[in-house]
Amino acid sequence: MSNLPVPDYDLVIVGGGISGAVIAKTVIEQAAKKKKFPRILILEAGRATALSADKYDTYVEAYHKALVKVPNSPYPASRSAPQPDVLDIRPLDNTDADPGGQGYFVQKGPMPFGSDYTRSLGGTTLHWLGTCLRMLPNDFKMRTTYNKGVDWPIDYEALKPYYERAEWDILGVAANVEHQHYPGLTGSPEEFFKSNNTTKFHEGSYHFPMAEIPSSWLDQYMAHTVDGMTISLPGKAKPEHTFKIKISNTPVARNSTPAAGYNVVGAVGNADQGQRCQGNSSCIPICPVQAKYNALKTLYELIVKYPDQLKAGEQPGTRARVTIQSQSVATNVVHTKATSTDKGKVTGLTYKKYYDDGAPPQGTPPTEYTVTARTYVLAANAIENATLLLASKAANTSDQVGRNLMDHPLLLTWGLLPENVGAYRGPGSTSGIPAFRDGAFRKDRTAFRVEIGNWGWNFPEDTPYTTVLDLVGGNEDGKAQLHGRELRKRLGEILPRQFRIAWELEQDPEGRNRVTVEDRYKDALGKHRPVIDYDLSDYMKASLPWAAEASRQLFEKLGMKNKVPHLPCEPEKPGRKKARSYETGDYTHYACDDASKVKYGGETYAVRGAGHVVGTHRMGADPTTSVVDSYQRSHDLPNLFIVGCGSMPTLGTSNPTLTMTALALRTGDEIAAKELSA
Amino acid sequence: MGNDTPTHPDPKGIFTDISVELTGFDRAELGGTGMVDTYYDTLLRMIGEREAGQLFRYAQEALDADRKEQRKDNAAFKKAVIDNPRFGPVALGLIKLWYLGRWYPLSAAYRDRFGSTADDVEHVVSGQGYREGLVWAAAGAHPMGAKPPGFGSWAEPPSPTP
Repeated sequence: MSNLPVPDYDLVIVGGGISGAVIAKTVIEQAAKKKKFPRILILEAGRATALSADKYDTYVEAYHKALVKVPNSPYPASRSAPQPDVLDIRPLDNTDADPGGQGYFVQKGPMPFGSDYTRSLGGTTLHWLGTCLRMLPNDFKMRTTYNKGVDWPIDYEALKPYYERAEWDILGVAANVEHQHYPGLTGSPEEFFKSNNTTKFHEGSYHFPMAEIPSSWLDQYMAHTVDGMTISLPGKAKPEHTFKIKISNTPVARNSTPAAGYNVVGAVGNADQGQRCQGNSSCIPICPVQAKYNALKTLYELIVKYPDQLKAGEQPGTRARVTIQSQSVATNVVHTKATSTDKGKVTGLTYKKYYDDGAPPQGTPPTEYTVTARTYVLAANAIENATLLLASKAANTSDQVGRNLMDHPLLLTWGLLPENVGAYRGPGSTSGIPAFRDGAFRKDRTAFRVEIGNWGWNFPEDTPYTTVLDLVGGNEDGKAQLHGRELRKRLGEILPRQFRIAWELEQDPEGRNRVTVEDRYKDALGKHRPVIDYDLSDYMKASLPWAAEASRQLFEKLGMKNKVPHLPCEPEKPGRKKARSYETGDYTHYACDDASKVKYGGETYAVRGAGHVVGTHRMGADPTTSVVDSYQRSHDLPNLFIVGCGSMPTLGTSNPTLTMTALALRTGDEIAAKELSA
Repeated sequence: MGNDTPTHPDPKGIFTDISVELTGFDRAELGGTGMVDTYYDTLLRMIGEREAGQLFRYAQEALDADRKEQRKDNAAFKKAVIDNPRFGPVALGLIKLWYLGRWYPLSAAYRDRFGSTADDVEHVVSGQGYREGLVWAAAGAHPMGAKPPGFGSWAEPPSPTP
């Protein structure tokens, strides 16, 4: 500590998101069994706005007032802790300009990285959808099974007990085991979920803590129309691959009817609120009642149960203590280098404190500090972890830090159904089609997951806004094309029939897809901005025509065979021309100025980011090819844990938060077992 | 207003009549949003009191004529307001305002001829304006992020839209 006496902590965690919160909670609970009481500091780069219910409500109001309702719209931007913006994704080809002039990410291309994250207390769980699918057994052994990517140092069976704890003790997952129809399993869903915990689950018969979230009317309509159909796709080695379609309810961290013995966790500071999902239809960007899990819930529990302030008469070391310090941006992992006899270790963590709204409070010491601890955890998001390590020149003997950046590039397809299916009601998605998540085809192309969207064309076309603007028209002659009862009636005919699917493609790890730092690109606080090189592999691109063809067959079955023509290079400006006729059919199209165009096999596609930022400090058994071990412990600096989605060597087709949470629980156990006993 | 139409017309009343005509929602539905006063003020902020007064005068004359002749298509209103280069663009803005809760700026061509105020920029009028956007009711839904219809409501068949 250079400039003021900061107390020594057992654990310093960088990042007040889900991984950091889960590790803090787990370490405290496991250590307590051995009568150990750690003192923990959590450093959060963003604001701590929402640790009370009334302040959380200001996020909701900000979302309602936001002109552009992107995932980060409720959460205030800061120059000191800037966050990526999905609106800042511009075409990269043809730009001579310095990419550093744009946004927060310095996008070097050739593809822009299309996902964001949130730098506020609670992290990106503030605006996640809540999907909690486990990874499939083959997802952990891609090299062995399909000769692609890499194997994980652990397998599904090893992670299973942590999945169970994540579902029960942290996230609160709503699902029915018998409705989980995944491909590539030898047995039934019941066998896939079979638990070793026979104390909690009679004969290992697993169930989730809450019953599934009811499937939307749209899901039921889909199931009625397409369940049992076969989709045939052209193969390489095999002439044809067939997939039997079954609509499957998706597990989510969203409050539903609890099983016996499970206590539903409501809103932070207002436990009566959010006991059930109420159908606000805005999981992204914000659940107004917190019926969906966010990391604030775990953080709130920590500061209530384990406040750092000791009460009168309490002795230090008799209970665990947690401090959350917001507006504190980690800038350097201070460490010693390895010698011939010893590994290096982290000796301190430097951070800067900032005050966006003016000068620091009177008497506040200088704004840069170095804090010391027994053990350090970086839990700041995959991209933030990588930039911090690279800027600190730490933990990178393998040269893998920042590499293997992955996402689930989304191919969106959308259409107008022949019937009113009640779009714009319910959670963003309640079901999917898991048929394409695994199979022999993964030797040739990546797997994908199919998410059925409940919010019409909101994602691809920013409806219902653009539908209104299109029907009202008048941009050229100033005369409304439709108004009054006609307009109202037409909207009622069109909006509830809007339908869209996201084909979430698994991305494979590639060393060239990477985050780096350059001294010329820094933010207002002087911290390095992420410089990103990003592209899609041919292996991944090969699943684009498959997803498009599967979509075509599915749309045909749903009565949307008619491909509604769209001018190939028409910029998206509603009202420019005569309104669309809105006949039933397939409306999928890509604007010519789309920044995320992909050309493959003579066709052009456009992909979107899924917000699944994965793979920048991958785990592995071999220190020369991986950054952390299976406990997310740095190979180079053993008192440093680098945690989160960045540790995942491959991505599979599951949204990564559940797996990240399982890994964090495992890390928490490890820290409690090994680090505190010294 | 009833039969005894006042000699000094009530501008907010006329504004509501115009809004009914433009949106296809009746007075009770519009009144129920709680946005009539706010949007009346918004209109005045965008085009000024004098121009708004002109719009009210033309619109009321046309609506009276339509009423007198018992026209179902309200042709006089359409001619005087919707198709009128002076008021058509303002009507467009009002339709979008009611349906979406946000003000879209008047066209450059309009501003060239008739001018508008410094407030005439794209903005969300208020959180309430967003929540009360008529588009959600027209869709048989509820505003995303507000007025939640309750656990499991999304599994029920959609209500038929008018």
